[in-house]
Amino acid sequence: MAALQEKKTCSQRMEEFRHYCWNPDTGQLLGRTLSKWVWISLYYVAFYVVMTGLFALAIYTLMWTIDPYTPDYQDQLKSPGVTLRPDVYGERGLQIIYNVSQNSSWKDLTQTLHTFLSAYSPAAQEENKNCSSGQYFIQKEFLAANHTKYSCKFTADMLQNCSGLTDPNFGFEEGKPCFIIKMNRIVNFFPSNNHTAPRVNCTFLEEHHKDFKPLEVDYYPSNGTFSLHYFPYYGKKAQPHYSNPLVAAKFLNIPKNKEVIIVCKIIAENVSFDNPHDPYEGKVEFKLEIQK
Amino acid sequence: MGKKKSGIYSIEVNGTKDIESIDTETSDKGDGKGKRKEQLKHHKKNCQEELKKDIDLYDHKLSTKELEEKYGTNIIQGLSSKRAAEILAQDGPNVLSPPKETPEIIKFLKQMVGGFSSLLWAGAILCFIAYGIELSKDNNASMDNLYLGVVLIVVVILTGMFAYYQEAKSTNIIASFIKMIPRKAFVIRDGEKREISAEELVVGDIVEIKSGDQIPADIRILDSQGCKVDNSSLTGESEPQSRSCALTHENPLETKNIAFYSTTCLEGTATGMVINTGDRTIIGRIALLASSVGHEKTPIAIEIEHFVHIVAGVAVSIGIVFFIISICMKYRVLDAVIFLIGIILANVPEGLVAAVTVSLSLTAKRMAKKNCLVKNLEAVETLGSTSIICSDKTGTLTQNRMTVAHLWFDNQIYEADTSEDQKAQIFDQSSATWASLSKIVTLCSRAEFSPGQESVPIMKKMVMGDASEAALLKFSEVIMGDVIERRKRNRKVVEIPFNSLNKFQLSIHETDDPNDKRFLLVMKGAPETILEKCSTIMIDGQEQPLDESTAEAFQTAYMELGSLGERVLGFCHLYLPEDEFPDTYSFDVETMNFPTSDLCFVGLISMIDPPRSTVPDAVMKCRSAGIKVIMVTGDHPITAKAIARNVGIISVNSETVEDIAKRLNIPVEQVNKREAKAAVVNGMELKEMSPEQLDELLIHHTEIVFARTSPQQKLMIVEGCQRQDAVVAVTGDGVNDSPALKKADIGIAMGCVGTDAAKNAADMVLLDDNFASIVTGIEEGRLIFDNLKKIIAFTLTKNIAELIPFLIFIIAGIPLPIGTIAILFIDLGTDIIPSIALAYEKAETDIMSRKPRHKKKDRLVNHQLALYSYLQIGILQSVGGFFAYFTVYAVQGFKPAQLIYLRPLWENDSINDLEDSYGQEWTKYQRKYLEWNGYTAYFVAVMVQQIADVIIRKTRINSIFQQGLFRNKAIWVGIASQIIIAVILSSGFGSIPVLNFTTLRVQYWFVAVPYGIVLWLYDEFRKLLIRRFPGRWWDKTMYY
Repeated sequence: MAALQEKKTCSQRMEEFRHYCWNPDTGQLLGRTLSKWVWISLYYVAFYVVMTGLFALAIYTLMWTIDPYTPDYQDQLKSPGVTLRPDVYGERGLQIIYNVSQNSSWKDLTQTLHTFLSAYSPAAQEENKNCSSGQYFIQKEFLAANHTKYSCKFTADMLQNCSGLTDPNFGFEEGKPCFIIKMNRIVNFFPSNNHTAPRVNCTFLEEHHKDFKPLEVDYYPSNGTFSLHYFPYYGKKAQPHYSNPLVAAKFLNIPKNKEVIIVCKIIAENVSFDNPHDPYEGKVEFKLEIQK
Repeated sequence: MGKKKSGIYSIEVNGTKDIESIDTETSDKGDGKGKRKEQLKHHKKNCQEELKKDIDLYDHKLSTKELEEKYGTNIIQGLSSKRAAEILAQDGPNVLSPPKETPEIIKFLKQMVGGFSSLLWAGAILCFIAYGIELSKDNNASMDNLYLGVVLIVVVILTGMFAYYQEAKSTNIIASFIKMIPRKAFVIRDGEKREISAEELVVGDIVEIKSGDQIPADIRILDSQGCKVDNSSLTGESEPQSRSCALTHENPLETKNIAFYSTTCLEGTATGMVINTGDRTIIGRIALLASSVGHEKTPIAIEIEHFVHIVAGVAVSIGIVFFIISICMKYRVLDAVIFLIGIILANVPEGLVAAVTVSLSLTAKRMAKKNCLVKNLEAVETLGSTSIICSDKTGTLTQNRMTVAHLWFDNQIYEADTSEDQKAQIFDQSSATWASLSKIVTLCSRAEFSPGQESVPIMKKMVMGDASEAALLKFSEVIMGDVIERRKRNRKVVEIPFNSLNKFQLSIHETDDPNDKRFLLVMKGAPETILEKCSTIMIDGQEQPLDESTAEAFQTAYMELGSLGERVLGFCHLYLPEDEFPDTYSFDVETMNFPTSDLCFVGLISMIDPPRSTVPDAVMKCRSAGIKVIMVTGDHPITAKAIARNVGIISVNSETVEDIAKRLNIPVEQVNKREAKAAVVNGMELKEMSPEQLDELLIHHTEIVFARTSPQQKLMIVEGCQRQDAVVAVTGDGVNDSPALKKADIGIAMGCVGTDAAKNAADMVLLDDNFASIVTGIEEGRLIFDNLKKIIAFTLTKNIAELIPFLIFIIAGIPLPIGTIAILFIDLGTDIIPSIALAYEKAETDIMSRKPRHKKKDRLVNHQLALYSYLQIGILQSVGGFFAYFTVYAVQGFKPAQLIYLRPLWENDSINDLEDSYGQEWTKYQRKYLEWNGYTAYFVAVMVQQIADVIIRKTRINSIFQQGLFRNKAIWVGIASQIIIAVILSSGFGSIPVLNFTTLRVQYWFVAVPYGIVLWLYDEFRKLLIRRFPGRWWDKTMYY
């Protein structure tokens, strides 16, 4: 085999490139004449118009086939996630640190709670129905206005001491803070099959706090249950005014100046809290340090 | 004397040093050192000139005594073992050193950093930087970037090792070619004759040569008994050369008292003294020269480099543009870096280099089956772009054996069958003249079949005797059966063998007719000599006086046969009168006591080395494929021209300048040279031509025959062709062909008759020496180029489908449709086997009817290919992929409209209740899992469309149905592998950390199928229009 490539100098290459950009002999601009460019551009424009049309058609068909009320699949939503308010995230997950004697250190936290609970004011919940059955509120028909389904009222006052109405500081000032625990909505989710309401249970994370006394908690509503009449959720379109039921937990014996890890689990038949990958499934874990 | 010796050797040593320095200089690729290059060129020139000059060797002029003194040896006793061992230690073994090789580690490292590898290294480094930045901010940073970096390095190392392995394998094939050394030699040492390995020979050894031996080193002949050597491997002369102890010429190459290493002793015996061993032999120097011509980049290497540049350019520029865009869109720098990695990764076809090497070596294997042994992989493709073939005549175009072609008797020319496997001759054999002629042919010959070949077909039997005698023997054996038996019945009384003085051969026989006591004198020889000795001529079995008109008829026939390039022999006989030559008469050869004139002329037989029957077809094929076939031969112009006409190198209706002159009856000088398509150029004319004249000749004549050329001129011709920007294939067999073989873009050595040096220098070895195999090779070469195009088009397509997700992700802020690991799994997983399978694709119908590729203009990756793959099929694939992605998100709750600009929330670790379109709330991990599900869906969609892609890439112009969907089974294996790998990945094996595949519901495997079908239909439509409107806008824009 023999030499095929003679080395070109830089200036030769530049000259070649310039020639490629504009070739005065043939009137070629970047290897094509102007009319060729017009043709090829037209072709590509047409091609992409057709392509976009195809895509639009496909998406249209897709939207047409899926149910507007219920998602086709809930593969990832077998068990609801649980969230905490106030939610301040540190390096690894939720981490709440404040100093009892420094108002500024917990003002933000209580503000978060106030903001959060503003959606649970009687005014905001006006459209919803008063429920007290404690049983699944199953609605086959769309009986509410505008072809929707009813949602049950959940107002902040149900949280009593943690509602922010009696104690606007949610107990933060006295070192017995309230935390609000919310279970994520999942369409058509039944927390249990045997009509027992899901219940929140907060403890110190065992392996870290063997030497502590067990955590004392006041739950609001009492027993820390989510009443069954808030379930099932029928989706945004059927229940536009639905709001999640909440449970507030007031921690009474948090040791001071010490970081503790608290885990709040939801105890219910269909809620699992042992997914190793998802720390927020069926439970919420957070670090709490109250300084004095 | 001692001084003189050192003087001689110092020159030689210098010579070797020059070559060595060239080797090292070419191997270190010090670019931009213009001066050094200049120097190097100078060196090279010097070197070649040095060889062209006489070789500095004076030993042939020395007397025996002086020689003994110079080499410290004794002619009778030989060297002492001790002395021999000393010299061996000093000079090294008597072997040719193999060409210098780059150290293995360098080769390995080159594979690691060359081509795409450097881009991947850059990607890996960026990964580590990204990880480093994250780590410095947060001790618990995610390991994803670290993993990705490690994976990239593993990919680079694995593909590098693979490429290295492939190259090492092909190097091994080459290594097996080096077997030049004769095994054993008889040497006199310590006064004893012993057999030693030729490697142990040293200067001063006394060796004995007998017929059939290969000369073990350069030897000064001391004593010779009828020793003849075949120097053809060195000088190209095929005539045996006698060797004696006399100084006959100043030039060591010409003198008879030196025999050269690697030439063969044909007959006789000789004793000689070793004067040069190993690389210092003449042949060793030629071999070194050949290896110093040096390998440079092969066309395919250039093409692949070009392609790498394009892809790297696209990758880097898109990467940088989007880096800037993402910075402008207020992404974090770290994120921008990660996007950059993704873009680079999506753009680099990681599996391509592996696929290309494998398909090249597949083709090499396939060619070996077809009798072409390819020494380096890229040579296959070079062969495909061949535009000129400079072919030898003997053995390549012809059968390399004399065969009877024509007979003339009874004033008529008869044609004989010259095909390879003739069974019977069909010309009219009823004439009594033929009976006489056949008798002469049978009797007046010394040739015999070598024993032990009963089962071999007649035409393939080995014959003891010269070429034309063998031809006659086989001819008569075919027609009349057992020749030997007939000879026995007509006992030979006396004979005069052929010699160049008489120019005839004569023998006298008893006849097999018991009633006829006369002796029969038969004679054959050069026609004019025979005719002189005749006074009568046999016509229809009757003797008639030889008058003017019959003599003229003879002349016409003789000229006609001669003009066909055939070797003509005349035959005559005489029944000796019984009264003058009774039974008891004793014939004496010395005194010639029998008549040798007034004989009866019987006929002429002409012989030729006929063309191989497959060659005319092959030449036709070359012509339709736009390949110029040039014959370069050492043979006589007339013979060369005749064969050229016969095989179609000079086509039926084209004329040479001489033909035109003859037809118009004007002097040659007045003919317009442009009118002649064909040219027959004599070596002497060539010698006087300037390069410009040669160029002109090569440009203006389409059909050229070079006759009486020397191997050096072959080199000139090759260079001339290369000046026309042609890709030149050259065939050769002699050692002295090796520079031409090296110089050629592709050197083709003959496997049967070729010397090892030629095989060494060549890129390809034809095992059956058949020209038709070259054409098969060219077809294969074109096929591999087409198939490489298909492979690259296939591989490039999905790069866009991998890239667009990143771009949309950056610009529209949707959750990432496909992860980097999934991209690697497409490139190195699902796509590998289908792309290799494309190498098995059969040729399309146009493969041998289009012009050869112009090595500078027709690129492997042209803009049509890039645009069609990137901007059409690639975009279509992306659309299919996105549809699958949107579908999976929509059925789980996230409708397309909601996804736009969702990214900041989607990727936020502190949002664990992100609402979807149905009002459901998602934790981070649930979203992440959905994202992986999206990756899987997108991955599967690309895989499904790549199935359609591999099917459409089967052809570039033919319809899939023309080509046959099932002819290439490998494609189906490839498609099966795509599906199986995807199934494995999405069935749980892929869900281990880092890989991030999830299971995918069955129906979503089919989301992209309609797009696959659209892709197929669109491509069929494209091919249809190309076939319908060749040369039009569509063809020019869409045909890659």
